[in-house]
Amino acid sequence: MNDEHKDWLAYMDAQSRDKQMLFMNGIARKLNRPRVTEPPSHPFRGAPDFWQTFQWTEQERIEKFTDNFRSAGGHVLRLADMAEVRQFITDKSAEMSVKYVIRQNEPELDALNLESALPEVKILVWNSNSEQHWKACAAEADFGVVVADYAAAYTGSITVLSSKDKGRTVSLLPTVLIAILPVERIKTRLGEILADFDDAGGAHLPAGIHFISGPSRSADIENDLTIGVHGPGVVYALIVG
Amino acid sequence: MSGTDISASSTVKERADLALNNEFLRQAVRFTTERLRSGKMTAAEQHGNWEEWRERGRQIRLHTIAHLDYYLNLFADNARANGVHVHFADTAQEAVNISLQIAERKKAHTVVKSKSMVTEELHLNHALESIGVEAVETDLGEYIIQLAGETPSHIIIPAIHKNRYQIAELLSVEAGETLPADTAILAGFVRRKLRQKFLEADIGMTGCNFAVAETGSMVLFENEGNARMVTTVPKTQITLMGMERIVPTWADLEVMATLLPRSATGQKLTVYMSGITGPRREEDADGPEEMHIIIVDNGRSLQLGDPEFQELLNCIRCGACLNACPVYRHIGGHAYGGTYSGPIGAVLTPALNKNVAEWDDIANASSLCGACYEACPVKIPLHEMLIYLRRRKVENGHGSKLESLGMKGFAAVMAKSGRFNGMLKLGKWGQKLVVRDGGIKVKLGPLKGWNSYRIAPSLPKKSFRDGWRTLEEEIRHGLKDMDPAVKSRMEAAIKKRAEGASHSHER
Ligand code: SF4
Repeated sequence: MNDEHKDWLAYMDAQSRDKQMLFMNGIARKLNRPRVTEPPSHPFRGAPDFWQTFQWTEQERIEKFTDNFRSAGGHVLRLADMAEVRQFITDKSAEMSVKYVIRQNEPELDALNLESALPEVKILVWNSNSEQHWKACAAEADFGVVVADYAAAYTGSITVLSSKDKGRTVSLLPTVLIAILPVERIKTRLGEILADFDDAGGAHLPAGIHFISGPSRSADIENDLTIGVHGPGVVYALIVG
Repeated sequence: MSGTDISASSTVKERADLALNNEFLRQAVRFTTERLRSGKMTAAEQHGNWEEWRERGRQIRLHTIAHLDYYLNLFADNARANGVHVHFADTAQEAVNISLQIAERKKAHTVVKSKSMVTEELHLNHALESIGVEAVETDLGEYIIQLAGETPSHIIIPAIHKNRYQIAELLSVEAGETLPADTAILAGFVRRKLRQKFLEADIGMTGCNFAVAETGSMVLFENEGNARMVTTVPKTQITLMGMERIVPTWADLEVMATLLPRSATGQKLTVYMSGITGPRREEDADGPEEMHIIIVDNGRSLQLGDPEFQELLNCIRCGACLNACPVYRHIGGHAYGGTYSGPIGAVLTPALNKNVAEWDDIANASSLCGACYEACPVKIPLHEMLIYLRRRKVENGHGSKLESLGMKGFAAVMAKSGRFNGMLKLGKWGQKLVVRDGGIKVKLGPLKGWNSYRIAPSLPKKSFRDGWRTLEEEIRHGLKDMDPAVKSRMEAAIKKRAEGASHSHER
């Protein structure tokens, strides 16, 4: 970033801070009261009480997640262990004549050793060197392989968090998304996952938190459902354990 | 400042006449709204305890708006701490200026945009083009109407008014070859075309569904993945956010995430829900390097402290009131002429513009049946607000009393076309509902004439029943699953009237 631009940002920032005070004072004035500067008590925080205690058993969570994810057009498989995951990815690659795979840089995925299972396929590990243009790599990949951080059974959603080793584009740009979902990460409700973000606080949140509930879709042309408009058109959730 | 596209010479009535001439539009709107509306009803029913969730959603919105200075301030501080450049804009012009300055600084050639009603409100595409920056809408429907040079006609399905042949024609021009009118092929073309744009673009521009005050995060709901593209691929991200988009915590977001997708499309959750907290971290290999959030007032704060309209700021832009509204369902979005259409647009547009006189005819294009309120996931009493608008018009000395009282504008629109005669009667019926609702009657102080206003004595009683079956069914159905509180209010009012025996309306 050049200095001139930095200076401009600093100038805009100073302006914004002044404006912020006027803006907030204006709001308070319109609300006919002094500024509120202490946290107000928030008696209606979050979901209704009856919901906060709602829980499914593990078996129910698996079933509901599967039903919901499928009815949104996603695929779900229940696999015993990572060896079966490896087999699945190998078979699918052959079936779909895959040329490029991009995966997150995680130990579970290292352990799959896809390189030896798929010698013909180019396998890229996210952000494993600084020379690559990683976004472009993700864009040309046939498969993106990720490990989900959470899932919510009630809505049929998986959650992926970004980091140095976990690219946001890996779950977005490839044609097919394969998300490995350790069974113990499936929660009943969305709120159980969101609570962790409140607990973490802004300074400890990743830049990108993404809930994914099936393949990309649109009904914008005559209400005709189209799959894979911008994001992956085929999405697998592989429940492991 | 102008938040709208309306030209002074074109009234709702004229625009509706145009809309009514377009058979496809009429059918498409009916079909789509029906699909979304029944999807919503099924989703709400499946989820269960819908009234409790609505009430919770309303309480969270009320609480947040009542303490907006605290929460917005907290959000701004936290977003800044995350590395976001936060800006405040009182007017549309200020928001546009800031956006253009960023684009100029970045020497941007192309901006990719995901769907955002705020940027529509600001006419930002036009402004960007005026400085030579290409602004590309990337939501499939938005892309289509951008190619057509039109504005969205529905909050959720912006290209609701275009058929596949028209779309194929538009896209064929872009493709430089004739594309068949096949949805999958057309969408495939757009995917390839826009992929290129995402990868080339200098700036990604988004709206904001919610902003979490406690962590300074912004949250987007979408189905296509284009909002994720826009917030991940370009080096600079600009988010335009209405000042009222705040929720205090992620826990509160659960309630909004429960209400919004179900109310909009009947989904349990949109395909993507993304929470973005600041630009990419130093060591990340994707995400924007520079992130701006522009917080926009543009008339919103005019509602603060206004007991009749403050609740407008609770709106979560789900579009359920459009789908529920018999008038919207038959005249379509463009007839409203502003950025926001349907019942919410009828109230929000004049409220944001603070211009009752110019816009009151939109308030007349409503049957006041209350279906919008019933559908609203945060219980905004839009039908009452429509009455306040009419009253304000009278107080400001605009228009005749008769107009303010009734369905004149609406009836005239509908009477124009023979097949819509039934609507006239429906309109009368809609009024009656309002009169029946004791709660509204009491609040109608300045409009004393209202509760003694006789309902079309010249119309035979059975005329409503044989009027327009679909509409009748719609509204009756709507009444069945009405909020018990409203229903009991209505029933009480009807009972009271029966006791008084001075009115004898059909039920
Ligand atoms: S007014 Fe209510 S129903 Fe209409 S768009 Fe806003 S939140 Fe949805």
